[in-house]
Amino acid sequence: MLFNSLTFVVFFVLVLALHNAPLSWTTKKTNLLIASYLFYAAWNPPFVILLWISTFIDWHVAKRLFIEEAKSRRKMLLAISIIVNLGLLGYFKYGGFLLENFVAIAAAAGVEYQPPEWNIILPVGISFYTFQTMAYTLDVYLRRAEPSKSFLDFALFVTFFPQLVAGPIVRPTHLLPQFAVPRVATPKQLYWGLGLMTIGMFQKIVVADGMLAPAADAVFGAEAMLHPVDAWLGTLAFSGQIFSDFAGYSTTAIGVALTLGFGLPDNFRFPYAAIGFSDFWRRWHISLSSWLRDYLYVPLGGNRKGNLRTYANLMTTMLLGGLWHGASWTFVVWGGLHGLYLAVERWLKARVGRKAIWGRLPAQIFLALLTYFLVNITWVFFRAPDFATAWRMIVTMLTFVTDGEKVLITPHIVQVVIAIGVMLVVHWRMRERKLDEVVGRMPAWLTGVIWGVMLTLIIITQGGSDAFIYFQF
Amino acid sequence: MPSSTSNSENAADMSKFERTLPGNAIGLSALIGLLVMIVIMSGWEMYWRSDGSIPSYRNSEGLWAIQRRRVNETEGDKTVLAGSSRMYFNLQLDVWEQESGERPIQLSLEGTSPVSLMEDLAEDPDMTGTLLVGVAGEMFFTGFEYRGGAFTRFAQETPSQWMGQQISMLVEPYLAFYQHDYSLFTVIKRQPFPRREGVFFEMDVRRLATYTKDRHARMYSKVETDPEYAEIAKEIWAQFYRPIDELSEEERAQGLENHNAQIDRAVAATKKLQERGVEVIFVRHPFEGIYDIIEPMYFPRAASWDVLIERTGALGVHWQDHEELQGFHLPESSHLAAEDADRFTQALYRLIERERAQHNTGEQE
Repeated sequence: MLFNSLTFVVFFVLVLALHNAPLSWTTKKTNLLIASYLFYAAWNPPFVILLWISTFIDWHVAKRLFIEEAKSRRKMLLAISIIVNLGLLGYFKYGGFLLENFVAIAAAAGVEYQPPEWNIILPVGISFYTFQTMAYTLDVYLRRAEPSKSFLDFALFVTFFPQLVAGPIVRPTHLLPQFAVPRVATPKQLYWGLGLMTIGMFQKIVVADGMLAPAADAVFGAEAMLHPVDAWLGTLAFSGQIFSDFAGYSTTAIGVALTLGFGLPDNFRFPYAAIGFSDFWRRWHISLSSWLRDYLYVPLGGNRKGNLRTYANLMTTMLLGGLWHGASWTFVVWGGLHGLYLAVERWLKARVGRKAIWGRLPAQIFLALLTYFLVNITWVFFRAPDFATAWRMIVTMLTFVTDGEKVLITPHIVQVVIAIGVMLVVHWRMRERKLDEVVGRMPAWLTGVIWGVMLTLIIITQGGSDAFIYFQF
Repeated sequence: MPSSTSNSENAADMSKFERTLPGNAIGLSALIGLLVMIVIMSGWEMYWRSDGSIPSYRNSEGLWAIQRRRVNETEGDKTVLAGSSRMYFNLQLDVWEQESGERPIQLSLEGTSPVSLMEDLAEDPDMTGTLLVGVAGEMFFTGFEYRGGAFTRFAQETPSQWMGQQISMLVEPYLAFYQHDYSLFTVIKRQPFPRREGVFFEMDVRRLATYTKDRHARMYSKVETDPEYAEIAKEIWAQFYRPIDELSEEERAQGLENHNAQIDRAVAATKKLQERGVEVIFVRHPFEGIYDIIEPMYFPRAASWDVLIERTGALGVHWQDHEELQGFHLPESSHLAAEDADRFTQALYRLIERERAQHNTGEQE
């Protein structure tokens, strides 16, 4: 079920009413669990079975892991969880990709092999809930935490509908304790939750789908070499679209959870004001970057095993992070570029990073713009349907050869310039601030007027219930 | 070891999970926001009503899917209408129902070739009635599918989409602004921005019809009463026109190949339907203006319509062959004005009945 759908509006009202009804806490949690399964089944009912498999396996594996002392048996139990979770993810998400590459390698070796067409539908949000449930088992394996004592709480942790399909990827240590005690939103939490939902939906429906998607689609759908103005505007449009789409989902998810009385962690902190790439990854998809840090980068050795290993660990983490986003080599390149940026930044910081000049405002603005420029280069690979398109775009953007095709019409250019201009200013001004603090300092009437205008724009945009981009990951 | 995965946390520790909240009166802001939204939305609704907009169901993919499902539910033996926009503007369900005693199922889609639908119905054993197929040259003989998404929607509609359609239909008949033509970014796109040199500006088709719950379409009154509005529609119809002489040899060869492929597809689907006892009838609807140039230039009758009718052996009714199908008012050159559509439907129904009898007698002989 999409947040930006009429079905969700009705669903949300019913869930909220039930959650505030005079029922026992166990009944309320059972209601939330059933609602979460309905939320997921609204796309494709049979895929709920995948949630049940993950829930069942990780519940039992974690319980056994906790009492098991023998190292070999513990490793075997962990392997069961990883094989089941990554096996499902691999089959549904990477099966076609692996087969495609196998055929290509076979063809390169002179073996002609034509497999049947791979027609497997990708279950929505499988990468998100797989990582979430794996975190639970890994925490218990690493003796970072005890397993949950309540199966209902655990099942709800795996399935909690606000963040089920596109994050934030919540740690068991953050969410499970909240299920332990009765929670209903206070009036202030309810209103602010609704406010966050409005902001999230505004980002998705008005900014991402309405203002920016037409330009990004036109540019990345073009088959010819483009004029550099179009290539740059299309890429900038996508940078804003992907942020507004994904941060819009996260903000809505946080808002929905808050209206029910639950606190979810931030997933974005104005990332286009980042100064450098380690800063960027502390602001962009925070729940994924911290997951990768805690469950991949650190176990690989992190920065504790010398410089060379640190760089290798960074690259490995980011390459796999790229692949997490999608079964395509373009995503691997996207991750590889981020790994490279992080490695270069680390190298440079060790040599020139301590100079006072970098602390001055002009230098900070320069570095933020440089970071945004380099991030945009990576977005080309992320959005392009193939390497040929990505290469054409990169060449045009970096050479400024002006004999390419123009595809963007004036209204779409105006929309991109306004949306990206406003977004960059807002991100810079909010760099060290928090949204609730800024809203808290505004007069209530002004907040109300802005809120009303956003609601109106959401309605009159009449969004076509376009799926969120990150659902495919 | 921390017990934070467990469910035995005490309430005092819960504060670390709480989100910070704005310090001001957010409840008051919510109330003001709601009032502001109601005021602006009322103004927006009044604006579109004053512009002449009439609330109506939206011609959505979900609405089409509902009609398509009727074939599989209990109504596969009825008359099903396939075609592009001329088929639903010109063929009035009310009049057809008066004439025949049975209301047809309207499955036509604007800007979309009916050939894929014919193929779909040919594979569907529930389809046992009569299939009336509208033939508009630029769609039928090119295979163009502006609304191809409707076929996917029918085949893959999720429970959430189904529910969304049901909820949407509860409010559609009461809101004048709730039409794609009045959505914010559609309105912005058609503002008089300076045109960018070297970029083709594709004008979106404006609202031309109102719909009932079963996709009974009628020309939107503004098209008939506002000549400027009708002129915009004519401009839109002409925006892709290129004289055939300007096409390269390769483009012409590709066009011809595609044209023949579409006829092959239609013939195969028709044969399959006929073998199952489904009667297929093709209809050519009136056109004028730019279409008087495009149709004979790109789809000359002898190479398109005549071939289709001959190869399928189906009954074909071409408006140019029958006096009673001529002389109607087409405000924007492509579709009949509402009252003319009533008279056209009656004439067409009676003509089909007559031709049908002759056609079937001829077949038996």
